[in-house]
Amino acid sequence: MNKKLPIQCPSCHAGLSVHSLQCDACQTSIIGSFSLPLFLSLDDKDQEFIIEFVLSSGSLKVMAQKLNLSYPTVRNMLDELIEKISNFQNNINE
Amino acid sequence: MNKLINPFKYIAGWESFFIGLGILFATAFVGYLSGVHFPDLISVKTSSGLPFIVILAQSISNWLVLSALLYFAGIVLSPSSIRFIDVFGTQAMARFPYLLVASTGFSPALEKFGKHIMWSALSIGEPTDLSSVELTTAIILIIFTLLSTIWLITLAFNAFKVSTNLKEAKLIISFIVIFIVSTIITGFISNNILKAFNVTFS
Repeated sequence: MNKKLPIQCPSCHAGLSVHSLQCDACQTSIIGSFSLPLFLSLDDKDQEFIIEFVLSSGSLKVMAQKLNLSYPTVRNMLDELIEKISNFQNNINE
Repeated sequence: MNKLINPFKYIAGWESFFIGLGILFATAFVGYLSGVHFPDLISVKTSSGLPFIVILAQSISNWLVLSALLYFAGIVLSPSSIRFIDVFGTQAMARFPYLLVASTGFSPALEKFGKHIMWSALSIGEPTDLSSVELTTAIILIIFTLLSTIWLITLAFNAFKVSTNLKEAKLIISFIVIFIVSTIITGFISNNILKAFNVTFS
């Protein structure tokens, strides 16, 4: 089963951070407080979009062909993602 | 359903431009054959005998005026880098419902209904008898034209939304203002086209 990484507290909806990491080979655990990388803070759909965009060499035209969508639709999706990332960065900086 | 009211999610750019040009030419040609023309952005009138070039010039002016103003609004108001070809192409495609409306002139019921109303309400023209079949046909065609107009406005709105990435108040207010202004400008241009070709209506 492909488990979804939770990024938001189900109780108060604040952003979650990483509490512990574990080596699967030797079971060593590291405990601390690590913030999630920005990429992992995005939802699955946005992460897929970014991966597709990189695989398309950053070409919106190629992306539009792959997704069977028009160029302005894909450009609008990218603009929304840029806005979302900017908001995330602003929240982190505040 | 989504493709009927927002095909621009899937088609834009040069593809929509060439499809749209085809729609504009076909609309003018069908209008020429059926005796229907479009004297402004949304008006539909029946008058047989208009030269093809006049109906084509009206159709192209309706498309160009609206597209140019929407493109200008997009450049000024949108944070996205918008493309000329997306705005003009999708707006041309959005004229598709009037290709269907152009064919309503093939039925003589609409023109007869118009003459009947002009005579009975304003005493203009000559008395025209209207059978119940002709009356029903005319009412159906009028409802069809109204629905097509709503469809055309919905398509033009969605084309503007997709091609400029405007949202909320900016999108709605700019579209309404531009649509009204375009209707006035195209009406004025259309009058001048008719004058230039010495077309008068009796």
